[in-house]
Amino acid sequence: MKSRWVVGTGDYLDLAYHAWTQASATEDVQKITVPQGADYEFDLSIFDTLHPELGDVFIAVDDRFGNFKRMELFRVALERGFTLSSFVSANADVASEAKIGKNVFIGPQAIIGHHCKIEYNSVVHAGAQIGANSHLRASVWIEPGVQIGSRVEIGTHAIIRTGAIVRSGIKVGKGAELGWPQLYSADIADKTVYDTRYDEPILVYGS
Amino acid sequence: MQSRMHPKYYLSQEIFDREQIKIFRKVWLFAGLTSLVAENNAFITRKIAGIPVVIQNFKGEIKAFENICLHRSAPLQQGFCGRRALVCPYHAWSYDATGAVKNIPDCEAIYRFSADEKQSLKLREFALKQVGSMLFINLSTEPMAFEEQFKPEFVALMESAAQSFDTEVMVTTWHGKFNWKLVYENLRDFNHVKFLHAKSLAAIADFPFEAPIQADLALTPLEDISIPGLRKAMRPFSYGGPEGKIDAVRPVPWLNMVERWGTEDAYFNWLAYPNLHIACGNGGYSFTIEHHIPIAPGQTDIEIYFITAKKKQPYAASYQVLLSNMHYSKTILTEDIDMLEQVQSALHIDAPIPTQGAYESTNRQIERWYTELMETEHEI
Repeated sequence: MKSRWVVGTGDYLDLAYHAWTQASATEDVQKITVPQGADYEFDLSIFDTLHPELGDVFIAVDDRFGNFKRMELFRVALERGFTLSSFVSANADVASEAKIGKNVFIGPQAIIGHHCKIEYNSVVHAGAQIGANSHLRASVWIEPGVQIGSRVEIGTHAIIRTGAIVRSGIKVGKGAELGWPQLYSADIADKTVYDTRYDEPILVYGS
Repeated sequence: MQSRMHPKYYLSQEIFDREQIKIFRKVWLFAGLTSLVAENNAFITRKIAGIPVVIQNFKGEIKAFENICLHRSAPLQQGFCGRRALVCPYHAWSYDATGAVKNIPDCEAIYRFSADEKQSLKLREFALKQVGSMLFINLSTEPMAFEEQFKPEFVALMESAAQSFDTEVMVTTWHGKFNWKLVYENLRDFNHVKFLHAKSLAAIADFPFEAPIQADLALTPLEDISIPGLRKAMRPFSYGGPEGKIDAVRPVPWLNMVERWGTEDAYFNWLAYPNLHIACGNGGYSFTIEHHIPIAPGQTDIEIYFITAKKKQPYAASYQVLLSNMHYSKTILTEDIDMLEQVQSALHIDAPIPTQGAYESTNRQIERWYTELMETEHEI
């Protein structure tokens, strides 16, 4: 029996592990926690015990550090030759011609409209709706129940939190975080953060 | 001993208006960062002491003007910052680097201004001073010298730090429900740290302070109340340096990505009276600029800029470093803001006058100067 190593940390690791367990009767699904040190760096030694010919890896790290920590493990797994298949819940409604990249997670009751493109390492949680012809770039994090209209473009590493509704045709910049539960009806600049703890959006200028 | 700060100073609209005219329209105030106006036509807009201001780059020259078109009073530039020539969006009057009207479309055909009238059209310009990558503005028609307001050693250390600021800047604003003076009083009181921030700031830094001798307690009235005298009296209100002791900085990967400012493991603070605080809690790796903007007697906007020291090279996750640090700073500052809002909410016109101890000598000196300005016709 081939192995399915669900590798990562936190609640999302648990969620992804259970999703894979329910979905794969023919695989030996294992949960592997990668410890983070006081400097937030991963201890990658666990990868030395895993071999691509014996199984496949799914990386499950949440949105911490703007999804960069999930990207970090994704790259490590890719460099070590793993295929990194995506997970699409049997209860999700995904248009047949939608393109889904490596290591993507699509939760139950999620709806992915026709001609959508979900790039590698992105997460679309349960009940999220992605309108037709929308494009999610790499390492995006979409929380449960989020509603995204048609023709929406979401930049890499963006985070859309529960309660957010993104109007059709909007461009959400890379690294943006839409955390205020509201309708977003104008384009969002790169790295703009709407965090409920703050009175105003957090903006980034320059580079 | 009893404070000079009657509750009215935190509650009265009349006092607030007087402060705006007698302090905020006279002194040098923080206005922004040069990295936001680095390119030709880049601009920032502000409202300072009730006056809308645009700070704009004209081919490398940075100028500050009143952000009101001389035709129909529309703001010339809109939004916090951007990049656009200085042209009014209403009827397209444009202005040059001196603030003079550069072009009025169809001027002769429909406006029929005389040559003299057209030549007299000039935006009100304000004095600007660059300190490292920080900009200060003075709204006065006869601005005092920068050095009259701030001590040279204070400016030198702040300039040295501000030269190391990176060009990637994270900005946000919090709306505090308290009077602006409560912030500077709080910042000049290290005794609150171990109580209010017991689990946050006090866990990582220690701020030693002394209770000075009687002579420093501002018990007697100010002796020199001339304009130069009152300016001189103001100078010690601004100071900075390695005020806090910290443990060795915890090694996290981003520290290696920036050119550290200095080598001293200390918590650096700069307090520029009236409304600027710069903090560097990790010995030169990153800086928080807190700018306290008075909005109304019981309302102060806290504008926060977060920057690291200059990056050695760009890297994709740098904005997440800024965001993590912003969130961390917020946990500490929220403790202050919550307390100051509580203080403000308890104030009423007959509230007890505060009782101060010897360690509060700086605040005592400030309030002696402040009440002199508020209660007399003397000016700075």
